[in-house]
Amino acid sequence: MKIVVCIKQVPEVTNVQVDPETGTLIREGVKSILNPFCEYALDHAVRLEQEFDDVSISVISMGPPQAKDALLRCLELGADEGILVTDRKFAGADSWVTALTLAEAIRLTVPDYDLILVGKQAIDGDTAQVGPEIAEILSLPQITYGIEVGLSSTRKQVRVKQEVERGYEVVEASLPALVTCSKGEVVRRAPSFLDVLNARKKPMRSVSADDLRIPAEELGLKGSFTQVVKVFPPPGKKCGRLLQNLETDQAAAEIFNFLKEKRFIE
Amino acid sequence: MHEIVANPAPQSDFSNIKCIEGFDRIRSEYSAYLCDESKLTPKPFDFLFFPKDEAELAAILCEMQRRKIHVTIAAARTGLVGGSVPSDGALVSLELLDQVQEVYFHAESNEWRVRAQTSVSLKSLETMLRFKQFPTLDQSTDAAVKRNLAQFKENAEHFFYPPDPTEMSASLGGSVVTNASGARTYRYGPTRAWVRGLRVYLANGEYLDIPRGKYFASPAGQFVVWTSKGEACNITIPDYAQPKTKSTAGLFAEPDMDLVDLFIGSEGVLGVVTSVEVALVKKEDKVSIIQFLDSDEQAVQLTLALRAEKRLQLDFLEFYSGNALNLLRNLQKTEPSTVGMPVIPDDAKSAIFIEMSFDPHAAQLDFSILEKVVASCGADLARSWAGYESRELDRFKVFRHMVPETINSILAERKKQYPGIHKLGTDMAVPDEHLEEIWALYKSRCDALGLEWAAFGHIGNNHIHVNIMPRNMDELEKGMQLYAEFAKKTVEFGGAVSAEHGIGKIKSHFLPLMFTPVQIQQMRNVKQALDPKGLLNPNNIFPAEVHA
Repeated sequence: MKIVVCIKQVPEVTNVQVDPETGTLIREGVKSILNPFCEYALDHAVRLEQEFDDVSISVISMGPPQAKDALLRCLELGADEGILVTDRKFAGADSWVTALTLAEAIRLTVPDYDLILVGKQAIDGDTAQVGPEIAEILSLPQITYGIEVGLSSTRKQVRVKQEVERGYEVVEASLPALVTCSKGEVVRRAPSFLDVLNARKKPMRSVSADDLRIPAEELGLKGSFTQVVKVFPPPGKKCGRLLQNLETDQAAAEIFNFLKEKRFIE
Repeated sequence: MHEIVANPAPQSDFSNIKCIEGFDRIRSEYSAYLCDESKLTPKPFDFLFFPKDEAELAAILCEMQRRKIHVTIAAARTGLVGGSVPSDGALVSLELLDQVQEVYFHAESNEWRVRAQTSVSLKSLETMLRFKQFPTLDQSTDAAVKRNLAQFKENAEHFFYPPDPTEMSASLGGSVVTNASGARTYRYGPTRAWVRGLRVYLANGEYLDIPRGKYFASPAGQFVVWTSKGEACNITIPDYAQPKTKSTAGLFAEPDMDLVDLFIGSEGVLGVVTSVEVALVKKEDKVSIIQFLDSDEQAVQLTLALRAEKRLQLDFLEFYSGNALNLLRNLQKTEPSTVGMPVIPDDAKSAIFIEMSFDPHAAQLDFSILEKVVASCGADLARSWAGYESRELDRFKVFRHMVPETINSILAERKKQYPGIHKLGTDMAVPDEHLEEIWALYKSRCDALGLEWAAFGHIGNNHIHVNIMPRNMDELEKGMQLYAEFAKKTVEFGGAVSAEHGIGKIKSHFLPLMFTPVQIQQMRNVKQALDPKGLLNPNNIFPAEVHA
């Protein structure tokens, strides 16, 4: 059984700082990491590999050459091979062109795939579109927001517990299928140091624009239906009212009157 | 040069300084200032000051000296030995002195340095260095400061400040006056090794600017501090030798010592540090590895083997005993997301946690030396966790911090039934050659007495924190006796009764184990010279002799 996990390298934004003058993200000192939701998708793949025989995991990413680091991280965490889809011609791709490129790369490199797992969204763009678009392009059934992924005993169906607005649903789809993964109860894995060392010996393939059967005008920025015109931070919230230099009783009375006036309390 | 002249106290109107007066008001409205992380039982005191600059601090010191009122200094209040808990008098919180003042390249020593006020937290300093963003420096009107900052930002390299006490909310000044250390002390030494200069206010409100490398003890072991009015304070440095381990017990003293070292680790009894200059180091990529093992004894053996292999340069070498891992296992069962790590393997009976340089982009990684050392102790790198992304390094660090946090929460629960109960956490280090013996003693005695305990910490520096968790008052008593036994043995081995927490108010009774009455008197004499009325941080290191 062949599982493909699509992954993305993203800036590590846990300590993100915004330039107060330009309003843009400060990239100085910000490293790149494997998108956490992609890591959850990989986690499900590794669980299936541990549970069932003859499962192999290919991880695939479209990005600049340094996206190889994110693939390497996946190899440390249990993937069997990495596929880097990289070419200057892919630059500026929107979510549709990214999905088109990845779908074609999957057809090319793992044509006999059974299951495609993707993170529900990347933490930089947050579009949550690429996964479902790949499913559409490949004409696959798709299940979104999965938090548990299992296989039927015949291994013909995937069974997924998915998040819905009021709780969870368990749904099935015939394979081949695509599942987008949410966090759920996953605690991120930690590879052994031996895994880290051995990952460097696992196969890593590279795919360029010339390898794909997509016309040049449909790739990258040229092929994109949407473009980022401007990036800007949301307007800041208005400053609250600060009570200063008051005795405690006075301050409490002020707050009480304010809440009463605004009808937060009777 | 062994003589230094103090600068006159800067002037400020005492009546304008923010002061909370009266213990009842302090207790009801500023209760956080009653104690620090030591959880020492608070005692009443009369004034709580918040100076906004050095001139206000000087005015407070002058006024308190005039009125003969004890002054205790606080910053982040993260200390574990009660150093910033007042016994009486006044508490001065330096929290408003929290600005980075300069980052610059010191050409002579070929290193980048940061100068900052005392209350800049280690965490915020780390963040500012990581992103090369220093808001106050960006807004500076000083052309030299701006030029240096621009040069720092243009430098392609990144830099960090090596000392890493576990509690990163600690203040820079607090870490200096306690000579704080942490895991990375294994490679980089304690805070002392990174301090390049201090500004220290004396009890009389005057201040000293002390760069490292300028003022050294005379051949007779003396310093002379001249006040701005021309009075001499003669300081004779104590003649004891420092233990051959990490130590924060008592005042630092050695022949030909640098004056700056007298104030580092002095726990505030000699003066008030308001500004600190520290050196930075080029940042490298690191990998953290938690190596699981079959027994605590195997962990000790692996420590010895890793230390002996000089080709391996580890940043730190930390320890989790089997019972410490069990505490985390129990926590994982109830709160897996709090622990934030995969399930601890069932067969893990102990663990060693190391960090070392690592290039994740290297085409080939050669760690054969590490593999051999680990294998030589019967361990297997396949039974480990490893991480090198900064979020992973942070995650591993949190996992390390979780042991004492878990112990604290267990004790907090027990305190509800037995209010007098508290944790007994050792902070002792011994010389390298005694690691096996001291570990055997710790384990055999804790087990023999049937106590609940766990051990963790800086095994690379032979500095293991044994934490005894009494279940009742009887066990507390047994634990305290055992603690004293461990302290006595540590001193016999030539170690230190306080390796990183300091003596403060909680451990002063251990000082006589390490020092003779004459040596303790020598320390007191140093304080007497600089603070004749004994007003600064009374009861830290040694109980106040002069009662105001």
